[in-house]
Amino acid sequence: MNIYKREIKDKLKSTIVWSISIFALIMLFMSIFPVFSRDATTLKLMMDNYPEEMLKAFGMSGVDLGSVAGYFTMTLLFTQICLAIQASNYGFSILSLEERELTADFLLTKPVTRTKIFFSKFAAAFTALTITNVATWGSTYLSIEMFRNGKDYDIDIFIKMMATIVLFQLFFLGVGMVISMLVKKVKSVLTFSMSLSFGMYILSAFGSIIGEDTLGYITPFKYFEPNTLIINGAYDRTMIYVCITVIVVSLLASYILYNKRNIHSAN
Amino acid sequence: MNIILRELRASIKSMAIWCGVFTVLIFMYMSEFSAYANNEEMLAVLDGMPEAMLEAFQMNSFNLTTLTGFYGILFTYFILMLSIHAILKGNSIISKEERDRTVEFTLVLPIKRSKVVIGKLIAVIINCIIIDVFLYGIILFSIQSYLPEENFMEFLLLLFASTFIMQMLFLSLGIMFGCAMKQYKRSGYLGISIILISYVLSIVSGLSKKLEFLKYITPFKFFDTAVIKNEMALDWKYILISFTIIVICLTIGLITYKKRDLYI
Repeated sequence: MNIYKREIKDKLKSTIVWSISIFALIMLFMSIFPVFSRDATTLKLMMDNYPEEMLKAFGMSGVDLGSVAGYFTMTLLFTQICLAIQASNYGFSILSLEERELTADFLLTKPVTRTKIFFSKFAAAFTALTITNVATWGSTYLSIEMFRNGKDYDIDIFIKMMATIVLFQLFFLGVGMVISMLVKKVKSVLTFSMSLSFGMYILSAFGSIIGEDTLGYITPFKYFEPNTLIINGAYDRTMIYVCITVIVVSLLASYILYNKRNIHSAN
Repeated sequence: MNIILRELRASIKSMAIWCGVFTVLIFMYMSEFSAYANNEEMLAVLDGMPEAMLEAFQMNSFNLTTLTGFYGILFTYFILMLSIHAILKGNSIISKEERDRTVEFTLVLPIKRSKVVIGKLIAVIINCIIIDVFLYGIILFSIQSYLPEENFMEFLLLLFASTFIMQMLFLSLGIMFGCAMKQYKRSGYLGISIILISYVLSIVSGLSKKLEFLKYITPFKFFDTAVIKNEMALDWKYILISFTIIVICLTIGLITYKKRDLYI
């Protein structure tokens, strides 16, 4: 419990900063919605005249950017980037921090098992991420009510979109943890976490432009792509299973590796 | 000189990783491109669309069936990646001494602090140039089997010029944060926030005409690849703005590092 408390205290400030940033981001994007939706209506009329296949070729089918949910997918994408960076930051740092800051000897000579340390740290990071998650839900609701401009929206689809955030965070947290256990030393957390989160984003972004699908199994930005969710109204089952498998495997592996790890001490 | 060599040697691994990543990316995407290249059907679809619609989706500027269009889109992401690399590298090359507790060693060497910073700066610039040249080579290699459009080569060079300016811009920001901030951890996060904010602003500025003024604030809009393609030139205004920012940042970095207390 002490370790948990200590970790939470450590993360509190960064969690607050991330939550506020995400709030600002969502507000910024949604505040443009009223202006944007006006332009988008004319665009929609124009697009209706074209055959479905053609629109699909350019990824323009299905989602109407003039609707609240359609526009929100864009907001959600950038929120996801922020959440990914935060989660992978925590993932790469929680287990490697003690070695880097030379406090590992202190912690590991305490009369607690490594298992306990592992779970306390994981629980603390997950709590911090959940706080940010809640803040994201709150900001989304607030921003939509403020800026929807009298347009209706389907609350179900929003709940479905937002519900994936927790899996999304766990993916980056878990993968971050297991990579930090696989390498000898995490010198700079930021380098690792930026490569993971932005790498995944770029893979997904460019993949959707050129219509590449196989890579979708690697990047979580594709697992829960909100566009597909709006069009189909349901999750892509395979993708969800892939994601859950990755999470479980990476958490298990990092637990085993942490218990066996040779810890470099200060001297 | 020793500092430059030392830093270059230390970054060989990260450079190799970057070059490897680019090689994989380019080949993966080029194999995808082979399906698009000179695809008559795609072109017919594009020709059938009204001008206004192409304009709205920027497809006027980028036609995926041509090398120019394909690389024009690819480069928006490459520039993003290389900017992240530059700001993190610039920041960490200064702050890693404090993180790894080697700063006492480096700074008691009989050289001026400003010389340390300049040596490191040169090392990172060489670093960036090596990655750029490698990327250029890989691209040339990957397009061998295609017949590039008339001014594709020129376009590619302009893309690289803009990439290099962006790298230098973010590099100098990174160095400034590394030099000026007392805590090495915070300077890294500040760098990342700058990247994220400018990237988001560059997207937001495209959403509405009223927000176009943002393009003067976010470096990611300075050298829009679509504009480069249409004008076949870089905008002098933005080159000047970038240059000013670079000079200011480096000066601030050098001055503050000279005076600052170290975090040991």
